[in-house]
Amino acid sequence: MKHPETVFCCAGCKTAYQLIQGWELDAYYDLRDQLGSSRETRPGSNQGCEIFDNVELLGQSAPRDLGDGVMESRIGLQGLHCGACAWLIENAASRTPGWISARVKMNDQTLTVSYSPETISLTEIAQLLASLGYQPVPILDDGNDRSQHENRAMLIQIAIAGFCAANAMWIAIALYAAEATSVAEGHYHFLRWASTAIGLFAVVFPGRTFFRGALASIKTRTPHMDLPVALGLSIGTLVGLFNAVSGTGEIYFDSLAVLVFLLLIGRWIQFRQQYRAARAVDLMIRVTPASATRIAGDGSLQTVSVQTLIRGHHIRVAAGESFPADGEIVSGSTAIDQSLLTGESAPVERRSGDKVCAGTVNVLRPVDVEVEATGSESRVGQVMSLVENASDNKPAIVQLADRIGGVFVLVVTLLATVSLVIWYPRGWRIAAEHATALLIVACPCALALATPLAIAISLARSARRRILIRDGNLLQLLAGKGTIWFDKTGTLTRGCPKVTAVIGKQTDVVLSLAAAVEQHSVHPIAKAIVDEARQRALAIPAPDAPSEMMLGGIQGKVRGRTVRVGNREFMQAHHVDLGSVDRTLIRQAECLAQSPVCVATNDELVGVLIVADPPRENAKRLLNDLKRQGWKIGILSGDNSIVVESIGRRLGLDADQTRGAISPEGKLDAIRESQRAGEVVVMVGDGANDAAALAAADVGIAVRGGAEASLHAAPIYVASGQLSSIGELFRGASSSRSLIYTTFAVSLAYNLAAVGLAITGNISPLIAAILMPISSVSVLAITLSWPTFRETCD
Amino acid sequence: MSVLYIALPIALLLGFSSLVACIGCLKTGQFDDLDAPAFRILVDEQPNHVKRGEIDG
Repeated sequence: MKHPETVFCCAGCKTAYQLIQGWELDAYYDLRDQLGSSRETRPGSNQGCEIFDNVELLGQSAPRDLGDGVMESRIGLQGLHCGACAWLIENAASRTPGWISARVKMNDQTLTVSYSPETISLTEIAQLLASLGYQPVPILDDGNDRSQHENRAMLIQIAIAGFCAANAMWIAIALYAAEATSVAEGHYHFLRWASTAIGLFAVVFPGRTFFRGALASIKTRTPHMDLPVALGLSIGTLVGLFNAVSGTGEIYFDSLAVLVFLLLIGRWIQFRQQYRAARAVDLMIRVTPASATRIAGDGSLQTVSVQTLIRGHHIRVAAGESFPADGEIVSGSTAIDQSLLTGESAPVERRSGDKVCAGTVNVLRPVDVEVEATGSESRVGQVMSLVENASDNKPAIVQLADRIGGVFVLVVTLLATVSLVIWYPRGWRIAAEHATALLIVACPCALALATPLAIAISLARSARRRILIRDGNLLQLLAGKGTIWFDKTGTLTRGCPKVTAVIGKQTDVVLSLAAAVEQHSVHPIAKAIVDEARQRALAIPAPDAPSEMMLGGIQGKVRGRTVRVGNREFMQAHHVDLGSVDRTLIRQAECLAQSPVCVATNDELVGVLIVADPPRENAKRLLNDLKRQGWKIGILSGDNSIVVESIGRRLGLDADQTRGAISPEGKLDAIRESQRAGEVVVMVGDGANDAAALAAADVGIAVRGGAEASLHAAPIYVASGQLSSIGELFRGASSSRSLIYTTFAVSLAYNLAAVGLAITGNISPLIAAILMPISSVSVLAITLSWPTFRETCD
Repeated sequence: MSVLYIALPIALLLGFSSLVACIGCLKTGQFDDLDAPAFRILVDEQPNHVKRGEIDG
């Protein structure tokens, strides 16, 4: 069915597939290590496992002693996709000595492990999980319990409603049979009373949620689908009860019980999907480093929780780590990637006495920092509070179904009155009977199911395509028209620089020399050079001695020659003659907002590498597609205006649609400005500098690779990291909108037929009982077969 | 036909007892996770892991 080259959704599926294939079942550990190294990992994903050493930092995940030398701990896991992941992890447990058992809970993405601490430590288990491709995180708070509780309560209501519906239906069959043949009066009334009791129970207990919804809708004067449902239910119950007492006329309790049952299922499906997406996003936020390395008074180092840091503490931040707090560098000098705050892709130099911000990444060398502000007082914390304000001030989206619900009540009441008037000449009793029948059969069961089902199926299918949508209502907005603002760094561009050109007499030699001295550096430009050399399959010679990193460049010895790689200032500082031709070339590159990196051997310039952050391959196509759908496109970036404009030009945007060098607050203003024009505003971005804008926009879409902070603000998260997923998202949204319209049309057609029958007096409880499930089943069938978020041909 | 007066309450009572059992399962969390158990049966039993039995038992 599948080829080995098939792309798998996750490491779990891949390993499961390979194990099932019977390959290398004995070589399980080899396979695991292979997986761990080949899989794309988040920066610093293997770091942070040490946190499991320190019981005080574990919160709810602190191990409990089960006796007999066995400990148990519940930890959060990021990266669980499907049952195969559970299978893989539980299989790993049974094959690891000391790790006694693992129970994965897919719905809340947690893992309960029991282990014997003498043989294996929790940290080792955490590292094993990390190498399998799942990031373990301690569970600090348990906000999850509430949702769990709600889920169970809903399922219990469904169980009760299901019990009532099934019993009311078989009693109803007996009643239809009783009407068709002759049956003893006593039995007939006994069955009617049994049906009434069951139906009444279903409406009063599991069904009360619809009355509550309708009441809230009346109070707040917003239309809601619960309104017509509650109208049908209450009229049906009252008249049914009256008829049961009087002993004549129709009782509709079987239909009412089934109605409650089906609607509750629809509600639960929707809840489950939204909860899942929210859960996955929450877990990613949790991965932010929660620990810091504090330098104690006696100079010793200790790992402490970020919460315990206060002003004046000294902390050490290693290269590749992010700063846990705002502060001032007290010793050491380094380069800092501030893309989290400014979106600027190039690292900036910081030395002793300079300020650093929490959340920015130390790329070069370890430094010691004196803490000045932590948590909500830090710059990132302030941006986050901006985010919260921005998301609080957003109006709620009124669902299309709810608007229809409001109109529906009016139309149905009107039709019932018409039917009452038409039939009045035949006596008020007959007239009332027909009017009630109309109210019950017009109860919009399928209509109320249509939206939850469509949204649930869209959320489930999009999640499989690695697009997490926290709020399904947003799909409706994405299916329309408006303005889309894109962030540049990391969204339209890769966010990591790439070597775009190599200039020199022997380009391969230049590149391999540069790669040789840069190969152990964590600087993004160094990575770009090494990657390019690897891609061209060049042999990278080993340097004679470890390279020496300096501000603006790096210096090393390769095959006896001194090799320097760095910017213009670095070269001039080391008296390298840049030569006139190369100098113009460098200027040219700088004008195009690309960073030239000079390579010199023994004080002689041998070549120049052009390093830039180019737009992603499919960025232009995506923007053109969106333009064709009627969206207005713009770029908002904190990066230098010239860079933003040149990128915009390459993507086919005019200069007035690109805005560079704007602050996080400026982005927020741009969003507000578009909103004042009455448009739907979508923001696509990553990084904390977009967080406020993402939250303020009508729809915020966070793209992978950005800071966790943006996930907090954005209700949609594209985990695939592919720009094409955004196009897919928009296509899926318009597809799910047409799905909702289609199912509306179908269910309204059924309602119309039922109302027609009721007005002409041809409805019977049997017909009502058949029509309702049929309409719901057709809505379900259409929804399941609809090609929303399905694989497209391109 | 008067057996109906006994049969119907008994049938309802039987149904009700399974409803109670179902709610009991729900409350103990047996329906919390609908995805992982399907794959759990694929995990091989490890007879050499004696400790595993101790925990489960």
